[in-house]
Amino acid sequence: VIGSEQRPGNGADMSTQADTSNPHGDVLDLLGAWAVGACDDDEIARIDRHLRECERCGAQAARLTAAASWLGADQLRPPPESLRARVLAQARERRAPAPLRTLTEAYAGQIALLDQALDSLGPEDWQRQEPRHRDVAGLLAHLTANDALLATDLDLPVIAIPGHAGPGARTAWRRQAQILTNGLRTGPAAATTLDRRVRLTTKRAPRPGRLRDALVQRAFETWTHLDDLGAVFGRVPSVPPPEQVRRILDLAMRLLPAALREHGLSRPGRAGRIVLSGAGGGEWTVPLGSTADAGIAGGAADVTIEADAVEFARLVANRRSPGTLRHTVRGDDALAPVILHVASQLGCD
Amino acid sequence: VLPDEDDVRLHERLIAGDDDALAEVYDRWAGHVHGLAMRVTADHALAEDVTQDVFVHLWERPEAFDPRQGTLRSWLCMLAHRRSVDHIRRRIARSQRQVLSADVTDHSGVDEGVILETEAKVVREAVRALPEAQLDAVLLAYFGGRTYREVAQELGIPEGTAKSRLRAALSSLADRLEAQGILER
Repeated sequence: VIGSEQRPGNGADMSTQADTSNPHGDVLDLLGAWAVGACDDDEIARIDRHLRECERCGAQAARLTAAASWLGADQLRPPPESLRARVLAQARERRAPAPLRTLTEAYAGQIALLDQALDSLGPEDWQRQEPRHRDVAGLLAHLTANDALLATDLDLPVIAIPGHAGPGARTAWRRQAQILTNGLRTGPAAATTLDRRVRLTTKRAPRPGRLRDALVQRAFETWTHLDDLGAVFGRVPSVPPPEQVRRILDLAMRLLPAALREHGLSRPGRAGRIVLSGAGGGEWTVPLGSTADAGIAGGAADVTIEADAVEFARLVANRRSPGTLRHTVRGDDALAPVILHVASQLGCD
Repeated sequence: VLPDEDDVRLHERLIAGDDDALAEVYDRWAGHVHGLAMRVTADHALAEDVTQDVFVHLWERPEAFDPRQGTLRSWLCMLAHRRSVDHIRRRIARSQRQVLSADVTDHSGVDEGVILETEAKVVREAVRALPEAQLDAVLLAYFGGRTYREVAQELGIPEGTAKSRLRAALSSLADRLEAQGILER
């Protein structure tokens, strides 16, 4: 597709004479000057008014403005490092950040995707077999029960899970999920802090944690089960937004040291570096035997594992195993299987 | 042209109050915003003020940016340019500005502390490929903060010619940047 053919008016045939009887001509004539901020206030007002109504001139304006924005880019000049902290501090002072809202919306986004996927299910589909939770209805009941755990900890209502398999499982899940998101947006839980103590789900008994992590986990689990459902019906796996992938990975890396201890697989004094590529990826150095809960540390590592970020998130969900995750290892070969095994046990199935 | 997907997501996160999103935008574009402010104001303190204003404004009023109208980068630069020009229009008297004309249109040298990325080199080539007459007009207006009438006066050309040179310069710069994949068609 040749862009210029889609932009009527982008030609050399245009008059350079100001012609106020023809608003397009007048505006197009001034558009170059306008795009470099070289018009007077009356002209700017006239052009802005016309651009709000005229898509053709609007497209041309956007093109010229975009070109102008690169004029200075031949000389990039990073500001002094101290400016970053000043800018962010002033921004937060002018308008308070709302991370609770962000994490709630990330979770709501995954809920919407799962709900959409459930739209296409027929009555008979609910009994379709699902390897981990017997059938599709069982999968949804499992998810609902874990959502209910957080609802309980936030003093929000808990929905009873229907005993019989069927579309009722969807209604219950959706109501429970909405109670959580609405409660956190504007309801009784909206004033809560992300440091509030709640329980996190695990394969075994729930473990104590913070709301910050629980919300990441709810979105993570909702995504995982969306893809479980997709697997049953032969659909393409989904990929969460990069920032959500990043949150999942940050949480997993923080949980790893304690999980190694719980599995009796601590390696005191040693550390692993995990380098994950692709959107949402990054680098983490995880102490393998420290008693510190912090999880992320700098310094030398005994082993480096490289993999794809989303694939590693799937490993954490136990949807990949150390054997099926594509990865490379440098350094101590014996440590990598231990780290990957424990990482694959962090989720709740 | 479809809105940039990264921009759309960042925009939503900014509206939701996610300050990590602001940090991401800053890390990505602060060099462009600050570099532009430095070129126009030639003043370290002013350039930092402009940079701060631009990103704080985005945080305070994220809905003022519309991803359907152009990229976030382009919007930030537009804002940085407007504020920088406001500064110099207020600060510099006309007589002094005449003296500065030569500096503004001298595009051969690269200042100290400047990063030349691959992309920057491509942009530089595209800018330098413009006909001298168009380049002088566009640099005088964009970096010198002149109106097209002042450009006409300083270059001794009719106002209509100044307007058409500005438009021709940007249009052929857009052509070149599109051909290089820096601007989307």
